[in-house]
Amino acid sequence: MKSIAACAAALLALISPIVTADTNVAGPSVSKVTLPSTFKPPQVFKNANLVHVISLEKNFAKEQINVVVENDSKEPQDEYFLPFTSQQMERVGGFEVKDRKDPSLTGFVVEAVEYDPLSDTQYYRIRLPTPLPLKAQQTIGISYHYLQALTPLPAAIEQSDKQYLVYAFSAYCPSIYTTVKQKTEVKLPGSDIPEYTKIAGSGDVKEFPQKSGAKLTYGPFPEVPAGAVSPVKVRYEFTKPVSHVTLLERDVEVSHWGGNIAFEERYTLYNQGANLSSLFNRVKWAQSQYFNPNSYALKEMKFPLRIGSTDAYFTDVVGNVSTSRFRSNKKEASLDIKPRYPIFGGWKYPFTIGWNADAKYFLRQKTGDSYILNIPFLEGPKQPEGFGYEQVHVRVLLPEGAENVNFYTSIPESSITEVVVDQQKTYLDTIGRTVLTIKARNLHDDFRDRDLIVSYDYTFAASLRKPLVIFGSMMSLFVGIWFLSKLDVNLSSK
Amino acid sequence: MDSQLREIWATAPGTPFLPTVGKGTQFTVGFSLLLFGVALFGGFALNRSFINIPLLGVPASLALAVGTVYMFCAVGVYV
Repeated sequence: MKSIAACAAALLALISPIVTADTNVAGPSVSKVTLPSTFKPPQVFKNANLVHVISLEKNFAKEQINVVVENDSKEPQDEYFLPFTSQQMERVGGFEVKDRKDPSLTGFVVEAVEYDPLSDTQYYRIRLPTPLPLKAQQTIGISYHYLQALTPLPAAIEQSDKQYLVYAFSAYCPSIYTTVKQKTEVKLPGSDIPEYTKIAGSGDVKEFPQKSGAKLTYGPFPEVPAGAVSPVKVRYEFTKPVSHVTLLERDVEVSHWGGNIAFEERYTLYNQGANLSSLFNRVKWAQSQYFNPNSYALKEMKFPLRIGSTDAYFTDVVGNVSTSRFRSNKKEASLDIKPRYPIFGGWKYPFTIGWNADAKYFLRQKTGDSYILNIPFLEGPKQPEGFGYEQVHVRVLLPEGAENVNFYTSIPESSITEVVVDQQKTYLDTIGRTVLTIKARNLHDDFRDRDLIVSYDYTFAASLRKPLVIFGSMMSLFVGIWFLSKLDVNLSSK
Repeated sequence: MDSQLREIWATAPGTPFLPTVGKGTQFTVGFSLLLFGVALFGGFALNRSFINIPLLGVPASLALAVGTVYMFCAVGVYV
């Protein structure tokens, strides 16, 4: 009786596709706050002590600001502003704020401030979980990164040369508040640092920076007024690829009939390192692989996948690329790929990889017809030199007829630019699969394996849509054949 | 974004989704059903009477419908 009711409901659903097409997503898609064009952040805080750590060990610039903020106004305050130039705003990403003394404290909200698009100074607003009382202090750690911030110098080199990158920053941490005490530490990948800007020291130190191995330290500086900057540059050796993905399209297709989750990732990859100053020499390249394997060309990528992954493939515009290796066992699943050619600075390599996995590793039944899916938001290559993503489009293709879509992701909310739920027709679909698209920008490989949790409702009736459509077509065929067999097509004799 | 989903996922660990027909048997099930459906279709083709529509047409259509879905899955197109 129950199955008859389910079949009837499924048939009803077929007749009125609009009912099942009703999906919704909770929450805002973009983390932004709009303020009047005359906005000026109020001077209500003071940075009692600040340590600015710039990490250039990978092929993007990662910055961490550990600051003791003090409420310097007459009322409790909870809005802390961080300034950026408009150029930096386009490349900054991965904002995360933590309380340094109590890492379990949550509730920091980071939002980009939209006020005057023509102003060169833009802001991010950090809302503290609880307003800071008068003269009280809180130690916060702010971390973010810049993509495309490293420039090769010289811009063109020979294919076996060392590559040097330049990073420009301010020795004083940019802040709209007075900073009583601060220092800036620059961590580099090695001690080969041929050039760096020297500035006048303070106290016993004659000049900054102080160099110790692969680290430069500007400061400690005495009190610095609000808005003060001291532009400096550092040029250092980085004979590794500056891999940058302008667009990653990641599709995750959920199949209840097949009990499968299919992953496909399409990369538009560039090496933003130094260009070749002369034509590429294949013989020289083959020789250098024996005596000097270090190169700024990208020659292989390793994708550690979830245990249980199967059926991996690697293609590019020409077709299947055979230089790949896939290991999948009880302990690991790893896809190692080698592009068709070494990717030197300025070169582009678009490619596609994909694999399958059993649904039981990612999908759980919440209650009745309610399901919950937990997949990694990003699963790109794990390279020691890092991997940057300018645009990431994650599409979760849920089964046809899935509704009440809701999601949560542990990547920073400020990195998400758009969330859309729509439909897409694939094989055997009539109204199309429900597709959740999340667009994010300026991420890097440290965010790989961050969770994306999607919940949705998928009724038994909706799951019968595909076989019922085929059943209906076959029945019409049978009736049609019977009807045709009854027609008298003989020529009548008069 | 719904931050409660994290706790819901953590508190629902014992019910992983398992399909009705596992990946290993999808080809067998799909192929058998398609074969059965085609056989009944052949039976109907030999005797195209009205009574054979419910007698042969309905089971054949059901077998072909479910068989097609499983055959799609078996060849790697997970619908």
